[in-house]
Amino acid sequence: MKVHIKHWNAVAQWRWNTGNNDQDDEGDVCGICRVPYEGCCPSCKMPGDDCPLIWGECSHIFHMHCLLKWLGTTASKQQCPMDRRPWVTAERKVADIPNNLS
Amino acid sequence: MASSAVRAQVAAKWQESFARLNRTEPGIAGLMGFSEAWSLATTFLKPYDLNNPTPKPQYDMRQVGMAFDTINKCRRLPVMMEVFLEDLRKSQHLIAREVEVHMNLYESDSDPETVRRLIFRLVEWYNAWKPTAELGQTIISAYTLAFQTHLFSILPASFARGVKTLVAATLERTISQPSDQHDRALWQAFDALSLIERYETLIASVGYEYIEAHVLEECIGKWAEPMLASLRSWMIDKIVPWMLWPFARGASNADEAKTMMQGVGSRFDFHMHKTLCDLRTREIFDIIVDFPDSIGALQDLKECLQRVDQRAELVQSIRRSNKKRLLHPGADTKDILLSYVSTIKCLRIVDPPGVLLFKVADPIRRYLRDRPDTIRCIVASLVGDGESGDSLIDDNEPIQPLQQPEMENYADPDWTPEPIDAGPDFRANKTSDIISTIVSIYDSKDLFIKELQVLLAQRLLAIKDGNLDRERRNIEILKIRFGEPALQVCEVMLRDMTDSRRIDQHVQSQKASIVHPTIISRHFWPALETSGIVMPGQFKALQEQYAQDFSVFKPDKVLRWLPHLGRVHLELELEDRTVEADVPPLEAAFIELFSEKNTWTVDELISRVGSVSRSAALKALATWVDRRVLKEDSENLFRLLSVAEEPTPGAKNPAPKPAVGEDELPPVMSVQQQQAEQMKVYWKFIEGMLTNLGSLGLDRIQAMLKFAPGYDRTIEQLGGFMEAAKREGLVTVKDGMWKLGK
Amino acid sequence: MASISTRRLHKELSEIRTEGCPCGITLLNADNYETWFFSIEVLGESLYQGEVFKLMFRFDASYPISSPAVQFVVDQNSQAPVHPHVYSNGHICASILGTEWSPVLSVSAVCVTLQSMLASCKVKERPVDNDRYVRTAPDNPKKTRFQYDDDTV
Repeated sequence: MKVHIKHWNAVAQWRWNTGNNDQDDEGDVCGICRVPYEGCCPSCKMPGDDCPLIWGECSHIFHMHCLLKWLGTTASKQQCPMDRRPWVTAERKVADIPNNLS
Repeated sequence: MASSAVRAQVAAKWQESFARLNRTEPGIAGLMGFSEAWSLATTFLKPYDLNNPTPKPQYDMRQVGMAFDTINKCRRLPVMMEVFLEDLRKSQHLIAREVEVHMNLYESDSDPETVRRLIFRLVEWYNAWKPTAELGQTIISAYTLAFQTHLFSILPASFARGVKTLVAATLERTISQPSDQHDRALWQAFDALSLIERYETLIASVGYEYIEAHVLEECIGKWAEPMLASLRSWMIDKIVPWMLWPFARGASNADEAKTMMQGVGSRFDFHMHKTLCDLRTREIFDIIVDFPDSIGALQDLKECLQRVDQRAELVQSIRRSNKKRLLHPGADTKDILLSYVSTIKCLRIVDPPGVLLFKVADPIRRYLRDRPDTIRCIVASLVGDGESGDSLIDDNEPIQPLQQPEMENYADPDWTPEPIDAGPDFRANKTSDIISTIVSIYDSKDLFIKELQVLLAQRLLAIKDGNLDRERRNIEILKIRFGEPALQVCEVMLRDMTDSRRIDQHVQSQKASIVHPTIISRHFWPALETSGIVMPGQFKALQEQYAQDFSVFKPDKVLRWLPHLGRVHLELELEDRTVEADVPPLEAAFIELFSEKNTWTVDELISRVGSVSRSAALKALATWVDRRVLKEDSENLFRLLSVAEEPTPGAKNPAPKPAVGEDELPPVMSVQQQQAEQMKVYWKFIEGMLTNLGSLGLDRIQAMLKFAPGYDRTIEQLGGFMEAAKREGLVTVKDGMWKLGK
Repeated sequence: MASISTRRLHKELSEIRTEGCPCGITLLNADNYETWFFSIEVLGESLYQGEVFKLMFRFDASYPISSPAVQFVVDQNSQAPVHPHVYSNGHICASILGTEWSPVLSVSAVCVTLQSMLASCKVKERPVDNDRYVRTAPDNPKKTRFQYDDDTV
């Protein structure tokens, strides 16, 4: 017997590719607003591309809007809220994506 | 001395009497004349036996008149009256005998004509014995009183029955032939014997009963049109003419009659309203069910209630029939809701301030609150998911934001005090629309939003043609009702749908795939039942390829498949046939495995797709058995029918049939299931309690759980959970005490 | 729309309600998203054995981007701990409440930090400039520019 698939209406969830591949994780949260990465920051209504993440060279990740709000204050001294090292936004390269097989 | 004084006194008395009787006549001529007059007068007055064959002798009325005159002059009239009444008393047995004869006859034949004859005969007796008018009203009144007192003392109870029958007959006749004067004599006879005063209540009851019968005949089950107006004119045209006989006798003109009838007329009018009010009160449950085809009855009821104070009875009636016919486990939640909505609409007509509604609604609302599927029903109706045509939503009602109960505004010039039968917790609900009223069954609207999310998720995942217009329109309407922030989650769900299509179009344009996923945002969709199934063979390859293509398009995102959701359209190419099928993923996964080899045991299949329950696996296999693609050769061993086989005649279907009507909606966890899931967290607490304390009642468990962090379940929810735990054998219950199962 | 602080504080509060406060910390009052009160004591051996203090948190709308104003409550029922970094009016000189604040900190984290500040105390004494400071101190300690001469807290 041969099974020919004609059409497959599948369902999937999207996740930010944070390098965390744990299948059953409850999901990491943004350290600033405590909302999951796949949720949206307090100033946004739509998750995903409208409320993206920002990666630091220090490997810490936040909702971009949350981090920018923090960096916008003088109190931040332009430091990462997690490790208080100067914030440097990481250059994300497609090649870094672990799942990429191309 | 003394004796001469006595003698003198006696002599004076005698002289005085003599002078009175003899008057100024010479000798004793006056005395003689008085004696004759006395004799004539008393003989003339003496009650005469009508049954005596010899006729009553004729008297020269001039002589009789003179005799009375003489007696009067001698101031002997009072004594004559006493003698007359004594004679009357002695003759009363004549009447008593006749009454007895007639009434014995009536009691045996029940012919009201016998009573009519008796009445006429009694009038004859009465007239025959009645003193002449010239003796003055005092004597006639004394006579009448004595005659009637005696008469009433001998009339048996059955006489009243006879009178009632006769009166009823006069009513019938007046109604059918208004100009007929046949009964005039009877009414005059009643009047002559003072029977109308004596039987006034009885006569009125004839009228009442007639009105009752008429109202029932005209109005039972007829609710479309208001009946009061026609009943009122019926009263004026038919009942009032008859009422003139007993209640306006002696009236010389219409105005006089009107004045005399005022009191009794308003009692009759009241009775008509009360009869209709009672009837509608008894019928109210079905009137509500029939709404809006019963508007007439409701308008009547409103008017009746203003005349007859029966509001409490109406409330009782609705509550009683609701309890008996509506608020029981056999009734559909949807029907209860529809009936509640009808009740709201009906009672708004009957009692605009809403006091009655408030009292009636309370038990319905409490009952609905305890039903697990009430919210689901309401939400389904809100999004126009009514399987039947009936919708809770009134299309005439504008879509408006939910109303919050308002504080009373006493500064409002239109403010009116609450009706007197409003209870202390009555809240005027004038402005609320139906949906607000229903939603307010619950303290919070969050539950509705959650249920809405579940429903929307099911419907979105079931969409095949990609047309979201209906759901989008629903959400827009719900935004007006519930407010935009509450619906934000639903907005995200809708956007996921459109984004999925855009992404798919892009991915397909780069590299065509037969996979077309709906990509959803976690945290914004209701908990989707987790399932660990792994799609085998080419399915897995397709998933991986698509996920890769997706990540090329969206480099910072990855896909996590929810393999148990969705549908697969596939074609099986067998040796002698091809089979096309549109199936859930598990069915597809199993049949894919049969392309590897022809026979599989259920356990082998389950282990290849990861974790799936045995019953789900058997159900999936049954789909293929039904389509004659697989056959269960022996228990739990399935074989691919590469070449079609006819089913063995008489062989029992080995695979369990899927449950009839099991819905094909995506397995989104209902709010109930989600709650049960969360409840499991508390199982440890309960287990600990029962381990330490042996057995506990539900309220005790509830009280102790209150100490567990974040515990916010109601005792009903706890009860449901414990029942579920019992089914799983974790606990047992006896006399309301819960214990850990062995 | 709810402000940033409301959402964040809502999350913190439900976390406190479900998981409880750190040991020795008790939530006294959180009726709104502006002012919360906690009781705090040092468990185990310390100079403050048996003493319970009351902490007040005041949040503005941009919390956690801006730090909360935190101080010990001083009234007829409670006193500020006698500590080299705690003024008698309750104000606290701690760098994490000022220049070292980070939005990833939380109410619980602040409580724990203050708890360990007390636990590690060697001498029970007021800051040297206590009297002068208290005389001129603003109501809100955030308005003060503290000199953090001790970078252990």
